[in-house]
Amino acid sequence: MITPSWILDILAVVMLLVAAVSAGRLVAARPWAGPTGEADIDIAHLLMGIAMAGTLVASLATLSNGAWSVIFAVLTAWFAWRVYHESRGEGARVLVDGHHAPHLVHSAAMLYMFVAITTPVAAHGAGMSGMGASGTAMQTLSVPVVAFLFAILLAGYAVMDLDWLSSPAPHGRLAAVAASISPAAAAAAVGGSVITAVASAGPAGAEGSVTTVPERAASAGNPADDGGATDSARNALLDPRTAVGCRIAMGVTMAFMLIIMI
Amino acid sequence: MSDITVAGGRVTRRGGPGAEASEAAWQPPDARRVLQLALAAVWLLDALLQYQSFMFTKGFGQMLAGTASGNPAVVASPISWDARLVEQHAVLLNTIFATIQLLLALGIAWRPTVRVALGASIAWSLGVWWFGEGLGEVLTPGASPVNGAPGAVIIYALLAVLLWPSDRHTATAPFTAARAVGAPAARALWLVLWGSLAYFALLPGNRTAQGLSGMISGMASGEPGWLAALDNHAASLLAHQGLAASIVLAIALAVIAVGVYLPRSAARATVVLAIVVAAVIWIFGEAFGAILAGGATDPNSGLLLILLAVAYWPTRTGATVPAAAQAVGGEGAKA
Repeated sequence: MITPSWILDILAVVMLLVAAVSAGRLVAARPWAGPTGEADIDIAHLLMGIAMAGTLVASLATLSNGAWSVIFAVLTAWFAWRVYHESRGEGARVLVDGHHAPHLVHSAAMLYMFVAITTPVAAHGAGMSGMGASGTAMQTLSVPVVAFLFAILLAGYAVMDLDWLSSPAPHGRLAAVAASISPAAAAAAVGGSVITAVASAGPAGAEGSVTTVPERAASAGNPADDGGATDSARNALLDPRTAVGCRIAMGVTMAFMLIIMI
Repeated sequence: MSDITVAGGRVTRRGGPGAEASEAAWQPPDARRVLQLALAAVWLLDALLQYQSFMFTKGFGQMLAGTASGNPAVVASPISWDARLVEQHAVLLNTIFATIQLLLALGIAWRPTVRVALGASIAWSLGVWWFGEGLGEVLTPGASPVNGAPGAVIIYALLAVLLWPSDRHTATAPFTAARAVGAPAARALWLVLWGSLAYFALLPGNRTAQGLSGMISGMASGEPGWLAALDNHAASLLAHQGLAASIVLAIALAVIAVGVYLPRSAARATVVLAIVVAAVIWIFGEAFGAILAGGATDPNSGLLLILLAVAYWPTRTGATVPAAAQAVGGEGAKA
């Protein structure tokens, strides 16, 4: 039994594209010039894209499963802390519509995948040290019920993300969650040039004082402040919808991988 | 130049290009939209299951051919023809099938296309119900609510109808499922579905001493140890109790069927009972659709029955329509 290699190839290309976009976002956001609030997410997407491409197509594999396990354990712990921090202001609902919960699930799913992957057993024609059809073995996951649960969660987050992106006020939603991170992220979410941020100085959702967003941060997501094709591309990269699009692609691909390895 | 106010986690924008679009603060989806998204997630899960290795082999065609068994010739012949076609072109046709389901999921989740996707999902579900599930075996002696009758995919179609983004009956809708078609029609559909399940529970094959027990123990094969143990334990409890178990199950299903006509508090109790019964069926009778054993195409009917029951949860003053839901419901309101 094999999954056609062209499907895996297409998904691997998508994952590499996600990784490239995430790398581009990291550079464009100039995190070295000050906090942007989104660097951790872009780093996670970059690493996940590379790891998944390598899992889908053996020739794209980079690190060992053990090394990836360590990396995603760190990311899982990091996003667990971020979710905890977010929940102090918003409560348990951050698990449903919080900003970091999807990233926690993505990281944990990747950790599970690399920890639970079993030694390939003989199968006709399939190949996976990855899942490509170039080898002679097929990988499966131990404790498959966990894979099933992760697949359900990932599918749920993917459709919720699509709903946000197609809602009448996607910027409002994106900025609302971004506001829980930093005013700069909120600025990027709505692409405004003058921002009056109320209640973003403290924990998410808390009423607070008026905060002026630094000009650099505010302009990071503002097409009006920049000119030329380069700036347009930069603004497109930094658009929060780009990150959400990457998250959808990654979530669906991850759920696919989990399901076919059950 | 535009002004943005971030207040209490809500962001609104005043002035500037595109300000009209984001003038209103984002609000979470309403109950119907949440259910639509849950349906989209299940379709997405189905699509991913359809991409499993097994589905690209002749085994998938043979699995389809198996659903013809026991059906009248007029139903079985097209199934056999379709199964042969799938066997001959397994990779091409399965790729198309999986991609259609993927597009249905994405279409329902993407607000501007929700009506098109729900409509397409109804047509697709009816096709799969016949060619993929043999009409859910409802015309065969082996139909049972425990093994998925009247067919999981027909419940997808039913949900698509009930969650249709139309609000012609919102003012008087006592539950979400009544918003599009009205309370009388929604109640009738519920009565027919759960009433038919009660009828199937009493079919001769299910009343035999080992009927239900054998059905449940048969699901243990290939499942993880803990799930197989659960199935085997449940099967041993029902051993030689087939008639009594069938009667109890039929009574419970009949109570659920008429529950939507009861006063709100009693209706809520029957909806809870429906969720519990559906969960029991999904876990013990269907082993989560045999997904963990590999080779499943969907999570089977239990999960869909739970989703359906949630859509019938009686609301206090009728289904409400938040302003933000107008993007989806509002489109329907034009219809």
